[in-house]
Amino acid sequence: MGGWISTGIRLPLIALAAALAAYPLLLGNPYSFRLATLAGIYALLAIGYQLIFGYAGALSLAQGCFFGIGAYVSAILASRLGWSFLLSFPLSLAAPVALAAVVALPVLRLESHYLALATLGVAQVALLAAVNWQGLTGGANGIAGIPPIALFGARVPDGSSLMLVVWLLAAAGAFLAWHLMRGLYGRMFHLVRENDIAAAALGIDRARLRLAAFLLSALYAGAAGALYAHSEGVISPGVLEFPVMVACLAMAVIGGSARVSGAILGAVLLVHLPEWLRVLERSYLIAYGAALLVVIIAAPWGLIGALERLRGHLLPELPPEPPAPRIARLRARASSEAARLLEVEGLAIAFGGLKALDGITLSVRPGELLGLIGPNGSGKTTLANVVSGLYRPSAGRIRFAGQDITETAAYRRARLGLARSFQSTSLVAEMTALDSVALGRAALEGTGLASALASGWRCAHLARARGHAMALLDGLGIAAFAARSCGELPHGIKRRVEIARALALEPRLLILDEPAAGLGAGEAADLRGRLERLAQGGLTLLVIEHNMPFLMPLVERMICLDDGRLIAEGKPAEIRGHPRVIEAYLGRTARAGVPR
Amino acid sequence: MELLQLTIDGVSLGAAYALVALGFVLVLNATGAVNFAAGDLVMAGGFAAVALAEAFPLPGLALLPLVLLLMAALGLVFSLLAYFPLMRRPPTAVFISTIALGVILQNTANAIFGAAPRKAPALLGEHLYHLGGLSIGRQSLAIVAVAAALVLAQHLLFARTQLGRSLRATAQDRETAEALGIPTLRMIALTFMLAAALAGAAGLLLANRYFVEPTRGNELIVSAYMAVVIGGWGSLPGAVLAALLIALFQVIVSAYASYTTATALLYAVLLAVLVLRPKGLFGEAIGRRV
Amino acid sequence: MSEPLLELQGLSVAYGGIAALEEVTLTVAQGEAVALLGANGAGKSTLVKAVMGLVAPSAGRMRFAGGELGHVSTRARARLGLGYCPEGRRVFPGLSVRENLEVAARVDKTTRGRRLDAVLAVFPALAARADARAWQLSGGQQQMLALGRALMGQPRLLLLDEPSLGLSPILADELLEKVREIAKAGTAVLLAEQNAAKALAVAGRAYLLEVGRVVREGPPAALAESEEVRKAFLGG
Repeated sequence: MGGWISTGIRLPLIALAAALAAYPLLLGNPYSFRLATLAGIYALLAIGYQLIFGYAGALSLAQGCFFGIGAYVSAILASRLGWSFLLSFPLSLAAPVALAAVVALPVLRLESHYLALATLGVAQVALLAAVNWQGLTGGANGIAGIPPIALFGARVPDGSSLMLVVWLLAAAGAFLAWHLMRGLYGRMFHLVRENDIAAAALGIDRARLRLAAFLLSALYAGAAGALYAHSEGVISPGVLEFPVMVACLAMAVIGGSARVSGAILGAVLLVHLPEWLRVLERSYLIAYGAALLVVIIAAPWGLIGALERLRGHLLPELPPEPPAPRIARLRARASSEAARLLEVEGLAIAFGGLKALDGITLSVRPGELLGLIGPNGSGKTTLANVVSGLYRPSAGRIRFAGQDITETAAYRRARLGLARSFQSTSLVAEMTALDSVALGRAALEGTGLASALASGWRCAHLARARGHAMALLDGLGIAAFAARSCGELPHGIKRRVEIARALALEPRLLILDEPAAGLGAGEAADLRGRLERLAQGGLTLLVIEHNMPFLMPLVERMICLDDGRLIAEGKPAEIRGHPRVIEAYLGRTARAGVPR
Repeated sequence: MELLQLTIDGVSLGAAYALVALGFVLVLNATGAVNFAAGDLVMAGGFAAVALAEAFPLPGLALLPLVLLLMAALGLVFSLLAYFPLMRRPPTAVFISTIALGVILQNTANAIFGAAPRKAPALLGEHLYHLGGLSIGRQSLAIVAVAAALVLAQHLLFARTQLGRSLRATAQDRETAEALGIPTLRMIALTFMLAAALAGAAGLLLANRYFVEPTRGNELIVSAYMAVVIGGWGSLPGAVLAALLIALFQVIVSAYASYTTATALLYAVLLAVLVLRPKGLFGEAIGRRV
Repeated sequence: MSEPLLELQGLSVAYGGIAALEEVTLTVAQGEAVALLGANGAGKSTLVKAVMGLVAPSAGRMRFAGGELGHVSTRARARLGLGYCPEGRRVFPGLSVRENLEVAARVDKTTRGRRLDAVLAVFPALAARADARAWQLSGGQQQMLALGRALMGQPRLLLLDEPSLGLSPILADELLEKVREIAKAGTAVLLAEQNAAKALAVAGRAYLLEVGRVVREGPPAALAESEEVRKAFLGG
């Protein structure tokens, strides 16, 4: 246990939590209890927001709206209909979740500002409804006389008891969020946020992750809203107005995004800020804005991030012991009985009138090593992108392992065993090499919320995935780098980490996009040796490469593209002397007189 | 007849919206950043007009040049705080910084002017012309005329001058523009100034008939944003046209149903457009970057 | 012999730990046309960008027209007389052909008009479509426009990054013929080109890059016959 406490910034966090708990208790006056209660409510709100904003990276502006809806549902049920807290509370959670589910379909497909303003639109409609639907909401006056929380018939009195109940719920919420995000599931969010294309290539379904985060964020907001209504006793349309959303955003950003502890710290700080800045009187919101601006410019990682950096700087930790490698099948999944693993027929795609691919037909046999070459802009990477599902072709079919996958989503193709690496590095800089590779197991371990919850206290999924990852890193000769962050790895190691990650998927076909780019001759030769060994294990490889000395001895067959068309196919030696290939690369020479 | 009356009101509101949307798109095109405080800049322009009118009791039209100047200065400060420090960061960072500046603007206005709605002077005094069964306010006509003049001025600046070409080139490909000797940072700062001035003008135009209050910007940003989405992301004429349509829709549906219904329907349209026609109703924006 | 117009000494560029250029030394004399050959990823584009100040070198010196380029901004380099024609053309899509040209001449209106007429005279195809938006042009016309645009600043050295990329052989020949004319008229040219045969037909001297290093330098005739060129592109 001692080791657990001393890792990261857990010790200062625990001390901080104790100090924050002691503060109202020591002051002991009703006002400080009230503030602490409010801080607990906002903490719940901000923890929920952390899930969609911090983890999923979606700038939703509906969190304040979900909060307000939770508050209104509680107020209406408790004050108007006289429902007990234990009955009204679950409905206060369910209502915003239901709304989130309804708007998720159009809204969650959107990116950044589209999503932000679409969710703001939802919030504006809710506000208008609250103001104008007087019969239900009391209009601009709101609803008064909301009874305090009652548990099993006993009223929870204001002051320290209410504070305790609120913070118990906040702690439960914090624990749930922390537990969800500390395993493989949380790392999936990290990858999806930083590089959704790489995530799709590992079989991770971004839409599903975002939906889960959005629904959960609404759940937390509903809980916060319900607690707010009961603790204040009166609500007005103000609970649906934009300042609530701004406060929540400021708490998440200032505390430190993608950190549960950041949400709590941000909530406690910002609720007390007006108290500490009394000189500003009612203009404390200016200070909110200014603080938000300063943090976003000067310290985008927030307060918790700053603490983590400080710890890393002052007391660098020894990297944790890498786990024992599990016996991973370094070899590929049993290839299908089909004589052709991949079949591409008449594939075409155009970008703004420019034909990037123009009627490409090719096939890859199981166990084959195929090379794909062609000058700059000839369509090699486009072909890889179409085959792996990032682009939809305008014509042609793709069959993989006997199945037509032309219309299949990228993440599903990955789950079928079609893996790829990328030309530029697609690793998350802050993630360790070990966890990056472990993410390759995500699709096999289960990517759903339920499987994350079922993962248990020891995060069995992550532990298993790390075991596999360790074996793969070992197989590629980079086990020593397992605990290092990807951002600090040398280029050649990064490329191998990416290959290991793709292999973790247990692919039937691995497409490598310029694996030797930027490698020295020695590194390239070593990589070639390892790829050859993988191929002997039964892996099918399609290698896109410019580095001919690397590629020629590796592959059995080569294909050359030029201008989106397949111009030559054959054994490496044949390709090298092929007049059309020479022409594509060197241009027509007077002496050669090659016919076109 | 009633419909015609409403159309006139809608066009005058839409003319002001068009200025807001135009400022929003100019910044969007030049920087790729969504200015969430665009509505708050309108609010600031409205309060600038209110404050100036207290100091100099003149008609709104005489105050307009001063408002434009003050707001251009604010636009420069805005870019220095919210955009330039974050140029190399993901767009979300700029988005949040503009939210922060919006909060600062709103609450500064609240601290100075209070939360109650205030009224700016009419452009040329208040007068009603009667035409058949119609009554047309002089203010409505003046709003349309001033907005049209500003839109035209912006268009001429962009289409006819070397400065305008440089602004557009910067917006379309900053790196290449820089490599051709265009001072792109200055162009971006200028774009912010121009956008803020247009927003300020809209504030002056709106703050007479519709009043101005510190939280006014929240609805305006959504309207402006809707105009930009419906008009085709990045398209200037599309934004202006869509702003007019949105205002007409709002005024007419509000009259026959309610403001809430009108707004809710508009958001439904917005969501539908986002899902079904992500490139907007008026086709692909020109010069859009991928 | 007078000082060369452009002089690179031991120039190195690295992207995130990967060396893209290593200790490249290269000169272009006044009015000289120099080709920069090499396969994909050899570093041609990086070199041109470094000269233009679009990527920062990690080591080495650059001199242009007798002055150090080290801390000169990209914009100031353009004003010193470097004309840049970027890879992938990158014309301003929403500006008309005429506007694309005009915007690149940072001079008074009369001079600008004169230069515009001169450039349109060199490219009759552009003159015919002067009012079309650049995105409406074909790939070949866009490349002409990018070239013309670079000329509007009346550069002393024209930097061309893969101008024939994505063009049909006939269009590429036509374009490089224009480059040859420009060079003949006295503007120095640094031509980064993957299509070795075409580039060698234009240039008076050539450098061959391989994985970020200059492996050969000389007159076109020597390089055209060289086994090294073939090896650089197709492996050995």
